[in-house]
Amino acid sequence: MNKFFRSLCASAMVMGLVVAGTQFAAAADGQIFFKGSSTLAPVVSQVAQQFMKKYVTWNKVDASLPDAKIEIFVSGGGSGEGVKAVLDGTSNFGMVSRAVKAKEKETIGDYHEFSLGTDALTIAVHPGNKVCQVKPNLTKDELVKIFSGEYKTWNDLDPSLPKEEIVVVIRDIGGGAHQVFQKKVMGKVDVTPNAIQSPSMGALVTKVMENKNAIGYASFGMVNVNKGKIIPLKVDGVEPTAENILNGTYYVSRPLLVVKKGSMSPMEKAFMDELLSAEGMNIVEQMGFVPAK
Amino acid sequence: MKKERIFIWACKVITLLAVSFLFFIFLFIAKESFSFFQKTSLLAFLTGSRWNPIVDPPAFGLMPMICATVYVSLLATVIALPVGIGTAVFLSVSAPRNIQRTLLPFIDLMAGIPSVVYGFVGLMVIVKFFEVRFSWSSGESVLAGGILLAIIILPYIVSTCYESMIKILHHYEQTSRALGVSKWHMTRYLVIPSAKKAILAALILSFSRAMGETMAVMMVIGNSPIFPSLFHKAETIPALIALEMGGAAVGSLHYQSLFAAGFILMIVLFVFNSFFFIIRKHIGEGIKW
Repeated sequence: MNKFFRSLCASAMVMGLVVAGTQFAAAADGQIFFKGSSTLAPVVSQVAQQFMKKYVTWNKVDASLPDAKIEIFVSGGGSGEGVKAVLDGTSNFGMVSRAVKAKEKETIGDYHEFSLGTDALTIAVHPGNKVCQVKPNLTKDELVKIFSGEYKTWNDLDPSLPKEEIVVVIRDIGGGAHQVFQKKVMGKVDVTPNAIQSPSMGALVTKVMENKNAIGYASFGMVNVNKGKIIPLKVDGVEPTAENILNGTYYVSRPLLVVKKGSMSPMEKAFMDELLSAEGMNIVEQMGFVPAK
Repeated sequence: MKKERIFIWACKVITLLAVSFLFFIFLFIAKESFSFFQKTSLLAFLTGSRWNPIVDPPAFGLMPMICATVYVSLLATVIALPVGIGTAVFLSVSAPRNIQRTLLPFIDLMAGIPSVVYGFVGLMVIVKFFEVRFSWSSGESVLAGGILLAIIILPYIVSTCYESMIKILHHYEQTSRALGVSKWHMTRYLVIPSAKKAILAALILSFSRAMGETMAVMMVIGNSPIFPSLFHKAETIPALIALEMGGAAVGSLHYQSLFAAGFILMIVLFVFNSFFFIIRKHIGEGIKW
Protein backbone atom coordinates (compact mmCIF):
# COMPACT_ATOMS: atom_id res chain seq x y z
CA MET A 1 0.00 0.00 0.00
CA ASN A 2 2.75 2.34 1.00
CA LYS A 3 4.60 1.92 -2.28
CA PHE A 4 1.42 2.32 -4.23
CA PHE A 5 0.61 5.47 -2.35
CA ARG A 6 4.05 6.84 -3.01
CA SER A 7 3.86 6.17 -6.71
CA LEU A 8 0.46 7.82 -6.79
CA CYS A 9 1.86 10.88 -5.07
CA ALA A 10 4.74 11.03 -7.50
CA SER A 11 2.51 10.81 -10.56
CA ALA A 12 0.19 13.43 -9.09
CA MET A 13 3.16 15.74 -8.66
CA VAL A 14 4.25 15.22 -12.25
CA MET A 15 0.71 15.88 -13.46
CA GLY A 16 0.67 19.02 -11.33
CA LEU A 17 3.86 20.21 -12.98
CA VAL A 18 2.49 19.64 -16.44
CA VAL A 19 -0.74 21.48 -15.64
CA ALA A 20 1.15 24.33 -14.02
CA GLY A 21 3.35 24.54 -17.12
CA THR A 22 0.46 24.89 -19.53
CA GLN A 23 -1.29 27.52 -17.45
CA PHE A 24 1.80 29.68 -17.16
CA ALA A 25 1.39 33.25 -18.31
CA ALA A 26 -2.33 32.97 -18.99
CA ALA A 27 -3.59 36.01 -17.10
CA ALA A 28 -6.60 35.10 -15.02
CA ASP A 29 -9.52 37.43 -14.32
CA GLY A 30 -8.59 40.66 -12.63
CA GLN A 31 -4.85 40.33 -13.15
CA ILE A 32 -2.64 42.82 -14.94
CA PHE A 33 1.04 42.28 -15.62
CA PHE A 34 3.70 44.94 -16.05
CA LYS A 35 7.22 44.07 -17.08
CA GLY A 36 10.31 45.97 -18.15
CA SER A 37 12.52 48.87 -17.09
CA SER A 38 13.94 48.57 -13.59
CA THR A 39 13.87 52.38 -13.35
CA LEU A 40 10.14 52.56 -13.90
CA ALA A 41 9.13 49.43 -11.97
CA PRO A 42 9.09 51.05 -8.49
CA VAL A 43 6.82 53.85 -9.74
CA VAL A 44 4.23 51.56 -11.32
CA SER A 45 4.49 49.21 -8.38
CA GLN A 46 3.70 51.95 -5.89
CA VAL A 47 0.73 53.25 -7.88
CA ALA A 48 -0.53 49.67 -8.15
CA GLN A 49 -0.23 49.12 -4.40
CA GLN A 50 -2.27 52.21 -3.64
CA PHE A 51 -4.80 51.28 -6.31
CA MET A 52 -5.26 47.78 -4.87
CA LYS A 53 -5.56 49.14 -1.35
CA LYS A 54 -8.09 51.78 -2.37
CA TYR A 55 -10.45 49.59 -4.38
CA VAL A 56 -9.70 45.91 -3.54
CA THR A 57 -12.09 44.56 -6.23
CA TRP A 58 -12.62 45.80 -9.78
CA ASN A 59 -16.36 46.46 -9.42
CA LYS A 60 -15.57 49.09 -6.81
CA VAL A 61 -13.54 51.00 -9.39
CA ASP A 62 -16.45 50.94 -11.77
CA ALA A 63 -19.74 49.07 -11.33
CA SER A 64 -19.60 47.74 -14.88
CA LEU A 65 -16.36 45.84 -14.17
CA PRO A 66 -16.44 42.24 -12.85
CA ASP A 67 -16.40 41.38 -9.17
CA ALA A 68 -12.82 40.13 -9.19
CA LYS A 69 -9.92 40.92 -6.90
CA ILE A 70 -7.51 43.49 -8.32
CA GLU A 71 -4.11 41.94 -8.83
CA ILE A 72 -1.39 43.94 -10.53
CA PHE A 73 2.05 42.40 -10.88
CA VAL A 74 5.10 44.51 -11.64
CA SER A 75 8.48 43.04 -12.46
CA GLY A 76 11.74 44.43 -13.76
CA GLY A 77 14.15 42.98 -16.28
CA GLY A 78 15.09 45.93 -18.44
CA SER A 79 13.53 48.05 -21.17
CA GLY A 80 14.24 45.45 -23.84
CA GLU A 81 12.45 42.89 -21.71
CA GLY A 82 9.43 45.23 -21.56
CA VAL A 83 9.15 45.37 -25.34
CA LYS A 84 9.71 41.62 -25.54
CA ALA A 85 6.98 40.86 -22.99
CA VAL A 86 4.41 42.94 -24.88
CA LEU A 87 5.45 41.33 -28.13
CA ASP A 88 5.04 37.74 -26.99
CA GLY A 89 2.02 38.52 -24.81
CA THR A 90 3.46 37.38 -21.46
CA SER A 91 2.59 40.78 -20.05
CA ASN A 92 -0.26 43.26 -20.56
CA PHE A 93 1.99 46.30 -20.47
CA GLY A 94 5.68 46.90 -20.98
CA MET A 95 7.70 49.56 -19.20
CA VAL A 96 10.39 51.20 -21.32
CA SER A 97 12.76 53.93 -20.20
CA ARG A 98 14.16 54.94 -23.58
CA ALA A 99 12.62 55.90 -26.90
CA VAL A 100 11.04 52.86 -28.54
CA LYS A 101 12.81 52.12 -31.81
CA ALA A 102 10.90 52.30 -35.08
CA LYS A 103 11.74 48.67 -35.75
CA GLU A 104 10.29 47.60 -32.40
CA LYS A 105 7.09 49.55 -33.07
CA GLU A 106 6.85 47.84 -36.42
CA THR A 107 7.17 44.32 -34.98
CA ILE A 108 4.60 45.02 -32.26
CA GLY A 109 2.15 46.24 -34.88
CA ASP A 110 -0.84 47.75 -33.07
CA TYR A 111 1.39 49.90 -30.88
CA HIS A 112 0.30 52.34 -28.18
CA GLU A 113 2.46 54.26 -25.75
CA PHE A 114 1.77 56.35 -22.66
CA SER A 115 4.29 58.80 -21.31
CA LEU A 116 4.64 58.91 -17.53
CA GLY A 117 7.42 61.42 -17.41
CA THR A 118 11.07 62.07 -18.12
CA ASP A 119 14.21 60.87 -16.42
CA ALA A 120 17.67 62.23 -16.90
CA LEU A 121 20.99 60.44 -16.62
CA THR A 122 23.06 62.62 -14.38
CA ILE A 123 26.82 62.34 -14.34
CA ALA A 124 27.27 61.47 -10.70
CA VAL A 125 30.28 61.12 -8.41
CA HIS A 126 31.01 60.40 -4.74
CA PRO A 127 30.70 63.46 -2.44
CA GLY A 128 34.31 62.91 -1.32
CA ASN A 129 35.59 63.30 -4.86
CA LYS A 130 37.40 66.64 -5.25
CA VAL A 131 36.11 67.03 -8.79
CA CYS A 132 32.89 68.41 -7.21
CA GLN A 133 34.83 71.49 -6.13
CA VAL A 134 37.53 71.69 -8.78
CA LYS A 135 35.50 70.96 -11.87
CA PRO A 136 31.75 70.81 -11.18
CA ASN A 137 31.08 71.29 -14.87
CA LEU A 138 32.17 68.80 -17.53
CA THR A 139 31.96 69.28 -21.25
CA LYS A 140 30.69 66.58 -23.56
CA ASP A 141 34.19 66.12 -24.89
CA GLU A 142 35.56 65.51 -21.39
CA LEU A 143 32.76 63.04 -20.70
CA VAL A 144 33.60 61.10 -23.84
CA LYS A 145 37.26 61.00 -22.82
CA ILE A 146 36.40 59.78 -19.31
CA PHE A 147 33.96 57.09 -20.39
CA SER A 148 36.06 55.88 -23.32
CA GLY A 149 39.05 55.40 -21.03
CA GLU A 150 41.21 58.05 -22.66
CA TYR A 151 41.49 59.78 -19.29
CA LYS A 152 42.81 57.02 -17.06
CA THR A 153 43.36 58.88 -13.79
CA TRP A 154 41.55 61.83 -12.27
CA ASN A 155 44.55 64.09 -12.72
CA ASP A 156 44.37 63.55 -16.49
CA LEU A 157 41.13 65.54 -16.25
CA ASP A 158 42.57 68.27 -14.07
CA PRO A 159 46.15 68.45 -12.73
CA SER A 160 45.00 69.44 -9.24
CA LEU A 161 43.06 66.18 -8.83
CA PRO A 162 44.77 63.11 -7.28
CA LYS A 163 46.52 60.58 -9.48
CA GLU A 164 43.98 57.84 -8.87
CA GLU A 165 42.28 55.62 -11.40
CA ILE A 166 38.88 56.75 -12.67
CA VAL A 167 36.40 53.95 -11.97
CA VAL A 168 33.80 54.12 -14.72
CA VAL A 169 30.46 52.55 -13.78
CA ILE A 170 27.86 51.87 -16.48
CA ARG A 171 24.71 49.77 -16.95
CA ASP A 172 24.87 46.71 -19.21
CA ILE A 173 25.72 47.91 -22.70
CA GLY A 174 22.63 46.35 -24.27
CA GLY A 175 20.27 48.03 -21.80
CA GLY A 176 18.00 51.07 -22.16
CA ALA A 177 20.02 53.48 -20.04
CA HIS A 178 23.24 52.75 -21.87
CA GLN A 179 21.63 53.17 -25.27
CA VAL A 180 20.46 56.63 -24.22
CA PHE A 181 23.93 57.53 -22.95
CA GLN A 182 25.63 56.12 -26.03
CA LYS A 183 23.39 58.09 -28.35
CA LYS A 184 23.36 61.40 -26.48
CA VAL A 185 26.95 61.55 -25.24
CA MET A 186 29.32 58.96 -26.68
CA GLY A 187 28.13 59.00 -30.27
CA LYS A 188 30.38 56.65 -32.25
CA VAL A 189 32.97 56.17 -29.52
CA ASP A 190 32.99 52.89 -27.56
CA VAL A 191 32.86 52.89 -23.78
CA THR A 192 36.04 51.46 -22.22
CA PRO A 193 35.88 47.69 -21.72
CA ASN A 194 37.36 48.35 -18.28
CA ALA A 195 34.08 49.84 -17.06
CA ILE A 196 32.09 48.09 -14.35
CA GLN A 197 28.74 46.93 -15.72
CA SER A 198 26.03 47.10 -13.06
CA PRO A 199 23.04 44.78 -13.27
CA SER A 200 20.61 47.49 -12.11
CA MET A 201 20.36 51.26 -11.62
CA GLY A 202 20.33 50.65 -7.86
CA ALA A 203 23.63 48.77 -8.03
CA LEU A 204 25.18 51.55 -10.11
CA VAL A 205 24.19 54.22 -7.59
CA THR A 206 25.41 52.06 -4.67
CA LYS A 207 28.78 51.66 -6.39
CA VAL A 208 29.13 55.41 -6.87
CA MET A 209 28.09 56.02 -3.26
CA GLU A 210 30.66 53.50 -2.01
CA ASN A 211 33.66 54.34 -4.16
CA LYS A 212 35.21 57.79 -4.15
CA ASN A 213 36.89 57.32 -7.52
CA ALA A 214 33.75 56.20 -9.28
CA ILE A 215 31.80 58.08 -11.94
CA GLY A 216 28.59 56.87 -13.49
CA TYR A 217 25.36 57.97 -15.14
CA ALA A 218 22.86 57.77 -12.29
CA SER A 219 19.17 58.20 -12.88
CA PHE A 220 17.86 61.65 -11.89
CA GLY A 221 15.28 59.95 -9.68
CA MET A 222 17.94 58.01 -7.80
CA VAL A 223 20.04 61.13 -7.25
CA ASN A 224 17.06 62.95 -5.74
CA VAL A 225 16.27 60.07 -3.41
CA ASN A 226 19.91 59.89 -2.26
CA LYS A 227 20.61 63.61 -1.94
CA GLY A 228 24.01 64.36 -0.41
CA LYS A 229 25.31 60.81 -0.80
CA ILE A 230 25.88 61.23 -4.52
CA ILE A 231 26.68 64.45 -6.36
CA PRO A 232 25.47 65.21 -9.91
CA LEU A 233 27.78 67.29 -12.12
CA LYS A 234 26.79 69.87 -14.71
CA VAL A 235 27.06 68.90 -18.36
CA ASP A 236 28.10 71.67 -20.75
CA GLY A 237 27.27 74.17 -18.03
CA VAL A 238 23.70 72.95 -17.54
CA GLU A 239 22.62 71.65 -14.16
CA PRO A 240 20.26 68.63 -14.13
CA THR A 241 17.13 70.19 -12.65
CA ALA A 242 13.48 69.38 -13.38
CA GLU A 243 13.17 72.60 -15.36
CA ASN A 244 16.27 72.06 -17.48
CA ILE A 245 15.32 68.45 -18.17
CA LEU A 246 11.80 69.42 -19.24
CA ASN A 247 12.89 72.20 -21.59
CA GLY A 248 15.62 70.02 -23.03
CA THR A 249 18.68 72.10 -22.17
CA TYR A 250 19.93 69.20 -20.05
CA TYR A 251 20.08 66.80 -22.94
CA VAL A 252 21.11 63.45 -21.39
CA SER A 253 17.48 62.54 -20.73
CA ARG A 254 15.10 59.77 -21.62
CA PRO A 255 11.34 59.26 -21.71
CA LEU A 256 9.57 56.96 -19.24
CA LEU A 257 7.01 55.03 -21.24
CA VAL A 258 4.39 52.36 -20.76
CA VAL A 259 3.76 50.47 -23.99
CA LYS A 260 0.83 48.33 -25.00
CA LYS A 261 -0.02 46.09 -27.91
CA GLY A 262 -3.60 46.36 -29.18
CA SER A 263 -6.51 48.07 -27.45
CA MET A 264 -6.99 48.10 -23.69
CA SER A 265 -9.57 46.07 -21.80
CA PRO A 266 -11.84 48.10 -19.48
CA MET A 267 -9.81 46.96 -16.49
CA GLU A 268 -6.51 47.87 -18.09
CA LYS A 269 -7.94 51.26 -18.99
CA ALA A 270 -9.14 51.85 -15.44
CA PHE A 271 -5.66 51.31 -14.06
CA MET A 272 -3.99 53.30 -16.82
CA ASP A 273 -6.25 56.24 -15.99
CA GLU A 274 -5.13 55.99 -12.39
CA LEU A 275 -1.48 55.88 -13.44
CA LEU A 276 -1.89 59.04 -15.51
CA SER A 277 -4.04 60.82 -12.92
CA ALA A 278 -2.74 63.63 -10.70
CA GLU A 279 -2.12 61.08 -7.97
CA GLY A 280 -0.08 58.85 -10.25
CA MET A 281 1.93 61.83 -11.46
CA ASN A 282 2.50 62.75 -7.85
CA ILE A 283 4.17 59.39 -7.26
CA VAL A 284 6.29 59.85 -10.39
CA GLU A 285 7.48 63.10 -8.86
CA GLN A 286 8.00 61.58 -5.40
CA MET A 287 10.26 58.96 -6.95
CA GLY A 288 12.41 61.82 -8.20
CA PHE A 289 11.40 61.91 -11.86
CA VAL A 290 9.90 64.73 -13.86
CA PRO A 291 6.18 63.92 -14.35
CA ALA A 292 4.54 64.19 -17.76
CA LYS A 293 1.75 66.47 -16.59
CA MET B 1 2.20 -7.90 -7.53
CA LYS B 2 0.22 -5.46 -9.56
CA LYS B 3 0.84 -2.47 -7.30
CA GLU B 4 4.55 -2.98 -7.41
CA ARG B 5 4.48 -3.09 -11.17
CA ILE B 6 2.67 0.24 -11.24
CA PHE B 7 5.29 1.66 -8.94
CA ILE B 8 8.13 0.43 -11.13
CA TRP B 9 6.51 1.96 -14.20
CA ALA B 10 5.90 5.23 -12.43
CA CYS B 11 9.56 5.34 -11.50
CA LYS B 12 10.61 4.64 -15.06
CA VAL B 13 8.37 7.34 -16.46
CA ILE B 14 9.61 9.91 -13.97
CA THR B 15 13.24 9.04 -14.66
CA LEU B 16 12.63 9.29 -18.38
CA LEU B 17 10.99 12.66 -17.86
CA ALA B 18 13.96 13.96 -15.88
CA VAL B 19 16.43 12.76 -18.51
CA SER B 20 14.35 14.13 -21.36
CA PHE B 21 14.23 17.53 -19.68
CA LEU B 22 18.01 17.62 -19.75
CA PHE B 23 18.01 16.44 -23.35
CA PHE B 24 15.50 19.08 -24.43
CA ILE B 25 17.36 21.88 -22.67
CA PHE B 26 20.49 20.84 -24.55
CA LEU B 27 18.55 20.61 -27.81
CA PHE B 28 16.91 23.99 -27.31
CA ILE B 29 20.16 25.81 -26.57
CA ALA B 30 21.88 24.07 -29.49
CA LYS B 31 19.05 24.98 -31.84
CA GLU B 32 18.98 28.64 -30.80
CA SER B 33 22.73 29.00 -31.12
CA PHE B 34 22.90 27.11 -34.41
CA SER B 35 21.48 30.05 -36.34
CA PHE B 36 24.19 32.22 -34.79
CA PHE B 37 26.98 29.93 -35.92
CA GLN B 38 25.53 29.98 -39.42
CA LYS B 39 26.08 33.73 -39.59
CA THR B 40 29.42 34.03 -37.80
CA SER B 41 32.36 31.73 -37.64
CA LEU B 42 32.76 29.54 -34.59
CA LEU B 43 36.49 30.18 -34.53
CA ALA B 44 36.07 33.96 -34.41
CA PHE B 45 33.49 33.57 -31.65
CA LEU B 46 35.81 31.42 -29.56
CA THR B 47 39.05 33.28 -30.11
CA GLY B 48 37.92 36.89 -30.55
CA SER B 49 38.85 39.19 -27.71
CA ARG B 50 36.43 42.08 -28.24
CA TRP B 51 32.79 41.94 -27.18
CA ASN B 52 30.48 44.73 -28.25
CA PRO B 53 27.19 43.48 -29.65
CA ILE B 54 25.49 46.85 -30.14
CA VAL B 55 27.90 48.65 -32.44
CA ASP B 56 27.84 48.25 -36.18
CA PRO B 57 29.41 45.88 -37.14
CA PRO B 58 29.04 44.02 -33.85
CA ALA B 59 31.99 42.23 -32.28
CA PHE B 60 31.40 38.84 -30.72
CA GLY B 61 34.58 37.60 -29.07
CA LEU B 62 33.94 35.22 -26.20
CA MET B 63 37.54 34.37 -25.33
CA PRO B 64 37.89 36.80 -22.35
CA MET B 65 34.66 35.47 -20.85
CA ILE B 66 35.63 31.82 -21.31
CA CYS B 67 38.98 32.51 -19.61
CA ALA B 68 37.33 34.43 -16.79
CA THR B 69 34.77 31.69 -16.13
CA VAL B 70 37.44 29.00 -15.93
CA TYR B 71 39.80 31.24 -13.96
CA VAL B 72 37.27 32.21 -11.28
CA SER B 73 35.98 28.66 -10.91
CA LEU B 74 39.46 27.14 -10.65
CA LEU B 75 40.50 29.80 -8.15
CA ALA B 76 37.43 29.12 -6.04
CA THR B 77 38.04 25.37 -6.09
CA VAL B 78 41.70 25.82 -5.21
CA ILE B 79 40.74 27.96 -2.20
CA ALA B 80 37.81 25.83 -1.10
CA LEU B 81 39.25 22.34 -1.54
CA PRO B 82 41.85 22.35 1.28
CA VAL B 83 39.47 24.13 3.64
CA GLY B 84 36.65 21.76 2.75
CA ILE B 85 38.74 18.60 3.16
CA GLY B 86 40.10 19.94 6.44
CA THR B 87 36.61 20.60 7.73
CA ALA B 88 35.46 17.16 6.66
CA VAL B 89 38.44 15.52 8.44
CA PHE B 90 37.78 17.53 11.59
CA LEU B 91 34.09 16.69 11.58
CA SER B 92 34.52 12.98 10.92
CA VAL B 93 37.70 12.20 12.85
CA SER B 94 38.20 14.60 15.68
CA ALA B 95 34.94 16.35 16.56
CA PRO B 96 32.80 14.79 19.30
CA ARG B 97 29.38 13.47 18.30
CA ASN B 98 27.42 16.42 19.61
CA ILE B 99 29.57 18.97 17.80
CA GLN B 100 29.21 16.95 14.60
CA ARG B 101 25.47 16.97 15.05
CA THR B 102 25.29 20.73 15.54
CA LEU B 103 27.80 21.77 12.89
CA LEU B 104 26.68 19.56 10.01
CA PRO B 105 23.19 21.03 9.61
CA PHE B 106 24.75 24.49 9.61
CA ILE B 107 27.11 23.57 6.83
CA ASP B 108 24.26 22.04 4.86
CA LEU B 109 22.29 25.20 5.47
CA MET B 110 25.05 27.21 3.82
CA ALA B 111 24.18 25.50 0.56
CA GLY B 112 20.65 26.79 0.87
CA ILE B 113 21.43 30.49 1.25
CA PRO B 114 20.36 32.35 -1.91
CA SER B 115 23.32 33.47 -3.97
CA VAL B 116 22.09 37.10 -4.11
CA VAL B 117 22.61 37.19 -0.36
CA TYR B 118 26.15 35.91 -0.80
CA GLY B 119 26.64 38.46 -3.55
CA PHE B 120 25.45 41.26 -1.35
CA VAL B 121 27.77 40.24 1.46
CA GLY B 122 30.60 39.93 -1.06
CA LEU B 123 29.94 43.42 -2.40
CA MET B 124 29.77 45.01 1.03
CA VAL B 125 32.54 43.02 2.72
CA ILE B 126 35.05 41.55 0.26
CA VAL B 127 34.95 44.28 -2.40
CA LYS B 128 34.85 47.01 0.24
CA PHE B 129 37.76 45.37 2.10
CA PHE B 130 39.98 45.52 -0.99
CA GLU B 131 39.06 49.15 -1.56
CA VAL B 132 39.63 50.28 2.02
CA ARG B 133 42.48 48.04 3.15
CA PHE B 134 44.56 47.95 -0.03
CA SER B 135 43.20 51.22 -1.47
CA TRP B 136 42.48 49.62 -4.83
CA SER B 137 40.58 51.99 -7.06
CA SER B 138 37.86 49.38 -7.34
CA GLY B 139 37.57 46.14 -5.36
CA GLU B 140 35.68 44.26 -8.05
CA SER B 141 38.12 41.57 -9.14
CA VAL B 142 38.66 37.95 -10.05
CA LEU B 143 40.04 37.45 -6.53
CA ALA B 144 36.87 38.81 -4.91
CA GLY B 145 34.79 36.50 -7.10
CA GLY B 146 37.04 33.54 -6.30
CA ILE B 147 36.84 34.05 -2.55
CA LEU B 148 33.08 34.46 -2.63
CA LEU B 149 32.61 31.42 -4.85
CA ALA B 150 34.87 29.39 -2.54
CA ILE B 151 32.49 30.12 0.34
CA ILE B 152 29.49 29.16 -1.81
CA ILE B 153 30.92 25.80 -2.90
CA LEU B 154 32.39 24.89 0.50
CA PRO B 155 29.31 23.01 1.80
CA TYR B 156 29.27 20.78 -1.30
CA ILE B 157 32.87 19.75 -0.69
CA VAL B 158 32.42 19.25 3.05
CA SER B 159 29.30 17.11 2.87
CA THR B 160 30.57 14.91 0.02
CA CYS B 161 33.91 14.27 1.76
CA TYR B 162 32.41 13.90 5.22
CA GLU B 163 29.97 11.20 4.18
CA SER B 164 32.69 9.10 2.63
CA MET B 165 35.17 9.68 5.46
CA ILE B 166 32.75 8.67 8.16
CA LYS B 167 32.12 5.40 6.31
CA ILE B 168 35.84 4.72 5.99
CA LEU B 169 36.31 5.52 9.64
CA HIS B 170 33.64 3.09 10.75
CA HIS B 171 35.28 0.45 8.64
CA TYR B 172 38.81 0.82 10.00
CA GLU B 173 38.49 2.37 13.43
CA GLN B 174 38.36 -0.81 15.50
CA THR B 175 41.12 -2.54 13.62
CA SER B 176 43.36 0.49 13.84
CA ARG B 177 42.78 0.87 17.53
CA ALA B 178 43.44 -2.80 18.15
CA LEU B 179 46.76 -2.38 16.34
CA GLY B 180 47.60 0.62 18.46
CA VAL B 181 47.71 3.04 15.52
CA SER B 182 47.21 6.65 16.59
CA LYS B 183 44.19 8.54 15.34
CA TRP B 184 46.12 11.03 13.23
CA HIS B 185 48.35 8.36 11.71
CA MET B 186 45.19 6.54 10.67
CA THR B 187 43.75 9.75 9.23
CA ARG B 188 46.91 10.51 7.30
CA TYR B 189 47.54 7.05 5.85
CA LEU B 190 44.06 5.51 5.74
CA VAL B 191 41.18 7.95 5.80
CA ILE B 192 42.41 10.62 3.40
CA PRO B 193 43.89 8.25 0.78
CA SER B 194 40.72 6.14 0.83
CA ALA B 195 38.59 9.22 0.37
CA LYS B 196 40.43 10.16 -2.86
CA LYS B 197 37.44 9.29 -5.00
CA ALA B 198 35.05 11.23 -2.83
CA ILE B 199 37.38 14.23 -2.97
CA LEU B 200 37.42 14.11 -6.76
CA ALA B 201 33.64 13.77 -6.80
CA ALA B 202 33.46 16.85 -4.58
CA LEU B 203 35.81 18.62 -6.96
CA ILE B 204 33.58 17.87 -9.95
CA LEU B 205 30.43 18.90 -8.14
CA SER B 206 31.82 22.13 -6.76
CA PHE B 207 33.59 23.12 -9.97
CA SER B 208 30.40 22.73 -11.98
CA ARG B 209 28.51 24.70 -9.36
CA ALA B 210 31.13 27.44 -9.48
CA MET B 211 31.05 27.71 -13.25
CA GLY B 212 27.31 28.08 -13.37
CA GLU B 213 26.98 30.57 -10.52
CA THR B 214 25.59 33.80 -11.88
CA MET B 215 24.21 36.34 -9.45
CA ALA B 216 26.86 36.33 -6.72
CA VAL B 217 29.71 36.49 -9.22
CA MET B 218 28.01 39.16 -11.27
CA MET B 219 27.79 41.39 -8.21
CA VAL B 220 31.46 41.29 -7.26
CA ILE B 221 33.42 40.82 -10.45
CA GLY B 222 32.75 44.10 -12.25
CA ASN B 223 31.53 42.59 -15.53
CA SER B 224 34.14 44.10 -17.80
CA PRO B 225 34.63 42.08 -20.97
CA ILE B 226 38.43 42.04 -20.75
CA PHE B 227 40.96 39.28 -20.22
CA PRO B 228 40.98 38.28 -16.55
CA SER B 229 43.84 38.86 -14.18
CA LEU B 230 43.76 38.16 -10.46
CA PHE B 231 43.43 41.72 -9.19
CA HIS B 232 41.35 43.15 -12.00
CA LYS B 233 37.80 43.06 -13.24
CA ALA B 234 36.46 40.36 -15.52
CA GLU B 235 33.16 38.97 -16.77
CA THR B 236 32.00 35.35 -16.65
CA ILE B 237 29.73 33.74 -19.25
CA PRO B 238 26.72 33.35 -16.91
CA ALA B 239 27.08 37.01 -15.89
CA LEU B 240 27.26 38.05 -19.52
CA ILE B 241 24.07 36.17 -20.36
CA ALA B 242 22.16 37.43 -17.31
CA LEU B 243 23.28 40.99 -17.87
CA GLU B 244 22.54 41.28 -21.55
CA MET B 245 19.52 39.02 -22.03
CA GLY B 246 17.18 41.76 -20.78
CA GLY B 247 18.32 44.21 -23.41
CA ALA B 248 18.67 41.94 -26.43
CA ALA B 249 15.80 42.03 -28.91
CA VAL B 250 14.24 38.60 -29.53
CA GLY B 251 15.66 36.90 -32.59
CA SER B 252 18.42 39.46 -33.12
CA LEU B 253 22.00 38.41 -33.62
CA HIS B 254 22.79 39.67 -30.11
CA TYR B 255 20.06 37.43 -28.65
CA GLN B 256 21.35 34.41 -30.55
CA SER B 257 24.92 35.17 -29.51
CA LEU B 258 23.89 34.87 -25.86
CA PHE B 259 22.42 31.44 -26.50
CA ALA B 260 25.62 30.53 -28.28
CA ALA B 261 27.57 31.71 -25.22
CA GLY B 262 25.39 29.43 -23.08
CA PHE B 263 26.10 26.58 -25.47
CA ILE B 264 29.84 27.17 -25.19
CA LEU B 265 29.53 27.26 -21.39
CA MET B 266 27.91 23.82 -21.47
CA ILE B 267 30.66 22.50 -23.73
CA VAL B 268 33.43 23.91 -21.50
CA LEU B 269 31.75 22.39 -18.46
CA PHE B 270 31.44 19.07 -20.26
CA VAL B 271 35.13 19.11 -21.25
CA PHE B 272 36.26 19.82 -17.69
CA ASN B 273 33.93 17.25 -16.19
CA SER B 274 35.12 14.54 -18.56
CA PHE B 275 38.69 15.46 -17.72
CA PHE B 276 38.04 15.07 -13.99
CA PHE B 277 36.07 11.90 -14.67
CA ILE B 278 38.99 10.32 -16.51
CA ILE B 279 41.35 11.20 -13.65
CA ARG B 280 38.90 9.70 -11.22
CA LYS B 281 38.78 6.49 -13.19
CA HIS B 282 42.55 6.24 -13.31
CA ILE B 283 43.32 6.79 -9.65
CA GLY B 284 41.29 3.69 -8.81
CA GLU B 285 39.73 2.96 -5.49
CA GLY B 286 42.69 3.92 -3.33
CA ILE B 287 42.66 1.40 -0.52
CA LYS B 288 39.91 -1.16 -0.94
CA TRP B 289 37.21 -1.12 1.68
